[in-house]
Amino acid sequence: MAEELMEQLDNHTAFTIPVFGGIPVPDSCVVTWIIIAVLVLLSIILTRKLKKVPTGSQCILEAFMDFLDNFFTGILGPKGKKYVPILETFIIYIGFANIIGVFGFVPPTKDINVTAALAGMAIILVQASFIIEKGPVKWLKSFLNPINLLDLVTRPLSLCMRLFGNVLGAFVVMELIKHLIPGGVPVIASGYFDLFDGLLQAYVFAFLTSLYMAEALEEEEKHEKKAKKRVQLHGGK
Amino acid sequence: MGIIALGAAVAVLTGAGAGIGIGLATAKATESIARQPEAKGDIRTALLLGCALAEATAIYGFVIALLIILSLGSK
Repeated sequence: MAEELMEQLDNHTAFTIPVFGGIPVPDSCVVTWIIIAVLVLLSIILTRKLKKVPTGSQCILEAFMDFLDNFFTGILGPKGKKYVPILETFIIYIGFANIIGVFGFVPPTKDINVTAALAGMAIILVQASFIIEKGPVKWLKSFLNPINLLDLVTRPLSLCMRLFGNVLGAFVVMELIKHLIPGGVPVIASGYFDLFDGLLQAYVFAFLTSLYMAEALEEEEKHEKKAKKRVQLHGGK
Repeated sequence: MGIIALGAAVAVLTGAGAGIGIGLATAKATESIARQPEAKGDIRTALLLGCALAEATAIYGFVIALLIILSLGSK
C-alpha cells in the first residue's frame, strides 16, 4: 500500500513533445490546459448577453465579481485598483486547480513546480508594483533594510510550501480514506478536504499576495505623513 | 526504515504548535467579536491571516516528514 501511495505522489508525464530530443509534458500542465479551456468557455458563455438589469446567471456573476473587487480594493486601496484583475486571476485559477480533484483529475497544485511558479509570479508582481508606484531608486533603497532582502526569499518560499503542502496533505488523506473506507465516507471527507480547504487556500494565497502588495504600496506614505507631521511640529515650535 | 519513520513522526509533531496557535487566535477573535460585533469583518480577515500563518508551521512539518521518508526511505 505504501508503494501505491508513493506512486500516486509522483508527478506523471502525460506525453512527450517529439522535438529537441523530447520535451516531457507533465499531468499538471495538461490539467491546467483543461482549466484554461473551462474558464475561457465560462467567460464567453457567462458574458455573452449582458443586460443593464441583471437576471439569472448574470446576478450570480456580478455578485461574485463584486465580492472579489471589493475584497481586493479594500486591502490595496484606490491606488492599487489596476492590480486587482491579476489577483482575481490568481484566486480563480488556484481555486479551480484545487477543487478539480472532485472531478477525478489530479490537482495541478499537487505538483511543487506549479506552486513554485505561482509564488514566483506573486513575488515578481509585488516587486513590480513597488517599482511602478515608487520608481527603481526607492526600490533599491528599500533593500538597505536587510529584512526586505530576506523577505524576497522567505515570502515566495512560504507561499509555495503552504499551497503545496495543503493540497498534497489533502490528497494523501483522501487517498488513505478511499483505501480504508471505499463507500460513502470519501464523499463527505472530499467536501472538506477538496472543496473547503482548496477554496480557503486559494483565498489565503491571493490574500497574502495582496497584503504584501499593500505593504509595498503604502508603507512609504505613512513615513511621509509622519515626516510631515514632525516638520509641522518643529515649525510650530 | 524504523528510525526513519520515527524521524518523520517527530517532524509531524509541529502540528501541536499550529493547533495551539490557531486555538489561541480563535479564542481571542471570538472574544473580540463578542465585545465589538460591529468590527466583525476586520476581525475575520485578521483571524484568517493569523490562522494561515500559524497553520503554515504544521504544513512545513508535514513537508519535512514527507521529504525524510521520500529521500531517506528509498535508499
